Amino acid sequence: MDIFIDKLSKLSRSQRNRNLFYQLLFLILVGFFANYLISKAMQLELTLSHFESRSGFGISHTFLKDYTSNDSRWSAYFTGVINTIRVSLVAIILATLLGTIMGVARLSKNVLFSTIAYLYVELVRNTPLLIQIIFWQIIFLKLPRITEALTFGSTVVVSNRGILLPYAKPNEDVNSNIFVIVLLFITIISFALSYYLNKKEDIDGKKLKIQNYNINGSLAGTFVFLILSVSTYFILQRPFVLDLPSLYQNSKGTYLQSGGFEFTPEFGAILFALVIYTGTFITEIVRGSIQSLSKGQTEAAQSLGLSNYQSMTLIILPQALRSIIPPLTNQFLNLTKNSSLSVVIAYPELFMVSRTIMNNSGRALPVFFLILFTYLSLSLIISLFMNFINRRVTRIGA
Amino acid sequence: MNQQLKWAYNTFSGSFYNTLITFLSLVIFGFIASNLFGFISTSEWAVVSANKRLLLVGRLPQGEEWRAWSILWISSFLIFSSLKIFVKPSIKELIFITIIFASVCFIFITQDAIFNVIIFSTLSLSSYLFAKYISQTPYITIFRKLLAFMWLTIIPLIFLILLIEDGPKPTLWGGFLLNIILAGVAISVGFPLGLLFALGRASQLPAVKIVCTIYIETIRGAPLVGWLLLAWFVLPKFLPEFWNLNETSVVIRAMIILSAFTSAYTAEVIRGGLQSIPKGQIEAADSLNLNLFTKLTLIVLPQAIRVVIPALISTFIAVFKDTSLVFVLALTDLLQVGRIIPEQDPEFFGKALEALSVVAFLFWIVSMALSNLSTRVERSMGIGTR
Repeated sequence: MDIFIDKLSKLSRSQRNRNLFYQLLFLILVGFFANYLISKAMQLELTLSHFESRSGFGISHTFLKDYTSNDSRWSAYFTGVINTIRVSLVAIILATLLGTIMGVARLSKNVLFSTIAYLYVELVRNTPLLIQIIFWQIIFLKLPRITEALTFGSTVVVSNRGILLPYAKPNEDVNSNIFVIVLLFITIISFALSYYLNKKEDIDGKKLKIQNYNINGSLAGTFVFLILSVSTYFILQRPFVLDLPSLYQNSKGTYLQSGGFEFTPEFGAILFALVIYTGTFITEIVRGSIQSLSKGQTEAAQSLGLSNYQSMTLIILPQALRSIIPPLTNQFLNLTKNSSLSVVIAYPELFMVSRTIMNNSGRALPVFFLILFTYLSLSLIISLFMNFINRRVTRIGA
Repeated sequence: MNQQLKWAYNTFSGSFYNTLITFLSLVIFGFIASNLFGFISTSEWAVVSANKRLLLVGRLPQGEEWRAWSILWISSFLIFSSLKIFVKPSIKELIFITIIFASVCFIFITQDAIFNVIIFSTLSLSSYLFAKYISQTPYITIFRKLLAFMWLTIIPLIFLILLIEDGPKPTLWGGFLLNIILAGVAISVGFPLGLLFALGRASQLPAVKIVCTIYIETIRGAPLVGWLLLAWFVLPKFLPEFWNLNETSVVIRAMIILSAFTSAYTAEVIRGGLQSIPKGQIEAADSLNLNLFTKLTLIVLPQAIRVVIPALISTFIAVFKDTSLVFVLALTDLLQVGRIIPEQDPEFFGKALEALSVVAFLFWIVSMALSNLSTRVERSMGIGTR
């Protein structure tokens, strides 16, 4: 026994052994807890087999994908995922624009402009997003009823059932998918061309010349893109035609609307709320990053005789971008997760669809894991993309 | 005069773009002002004045209001004496506070409550003056400690007041009271937990690190409404059976979820602070042969938390705003009351904006006060200017 204790005390003198012991203890505790959770979870139904069956509920917003209540629950779920991606993507782009403009505005020497930005941040940031979603829904529902809808020629129809905008719709006689693929190719080719020309100009240190005409890389790329895309459009016999919205009365006198791109009140409310709410945080990020740059940069730009706009776009923002991107990524992730709040105004995105499935099937836990998995994947995609941009941005002149 | 003209010319005009921006700003101001004026001139506030009680305390039974009032009195004493002792507001800030305070009193004063509101305002004023008096006497150190102790025990105290002598069931708590309680519990439970998780994630022991990272990233992975929905459907099945814990009310479940959520987010904030500590500090502590506990409490945490106080406060503001999401659990918090009344009471149809603006105002005041506090802390510590 004495030998045993002696050996133990010798062993315990090493930091490494003690660390191993602590970790073992910790893992045993966590293991007990996990075991408890798993044993409870095993009593519940854990498979997603019920996703194969008929969903039985309709979804009001379908985009890029046909869905009826006779389709499977998987189909409903993917419709929800597409709706989430759609609203998040548009909101991310618009919120970044709004935030950048307001962030610059907060530091503007124009008092009116900076006051607008200040009031915007202080009023919007300190109220819950949920209130703002409901607020925008109320505003959208206060638009005129469809019997008194505002029409601007036959291009835009505004009523409280939504805003209809002109849109391109596939021509039924022609296979329009080919056009999309060709257009993608043309885009890649023209980008590659302008990139190559600009690079060549940088390396050679002089402008490219073809028969005494200066060639600008970006301009040449745009030109090639326009020529190629317009000619393909006509060669393929107009694969897309303009789709104008129309408002008409049927035989019973009911007003109906059709055609165009439908901007529904639900989509509008969640989009406005997300953009304006997230925009405040991006404003503060942009302002902080600009302020963290040394004042010498602005002064150097001024002494070179650059205008305010030039010094902002050429000197300040490119440098500020480096410290903007990591917190910006965080805001994008928050925005994507916050889009789940649209459940309150019945915009059928991922969370709302999953909640309906939970209610119908009664198997909440596996559906919840599916939600968790989906949001984690979306977050991962955004993070990877932003990390890619971050690497590109930080590499320049770093 | 000439100089002022020059200033005005440079500020509002000067170049083409600046003139354009001034013009656009004026258009925006005009648009907002005309809409605001139109709303105010056509609004009817009966929807708020008839439902003050519901907005503030929800479905708390008649005769139980003294609980809410005494909570208000205690917290007003705490807030206003700490205001003088810890924050030391300037004259401008005092005027702002008074205006906000008066407008809140004005919104919620009723015939029955007039006596209570008078007590509330006298108490606030006298505690401020009392603190002002005591800060000139030697008792200030004891008073400071007393206040700090009271801030630490305020949440258990509120629970005691709400539950003592057969208090109403937690499901009857509602309105603004519920938001305050939920946020208070989430912060006071979530912060210490978050501290532990942050330390665990920064730990050198791989097992601890991995477990803490998994916890934090899982919680942050799904939106809060998702977790609340989980609490609604399956959390009772995971709670142990003794003391009937698996039949706890929805409010307690909301508290559990909100605390777990807060802990994950605070952990991430504190981790940022831990990473900002220079390695030399920890090596110095090691070379003084401090043990882990002393090293953490005397060297690491004071420096780490000091840096992240502004970020912590904005996390707390976010948690407070997120308490409005408990609609998923069918709880009637302030926002739900404000939404339901114009929808269900035929007398107030179409008055949704009025109700919503009062709800937004109440949320705004609390968040605004907290964010001002954070700016003050930031400035007094010189973070960002060093």
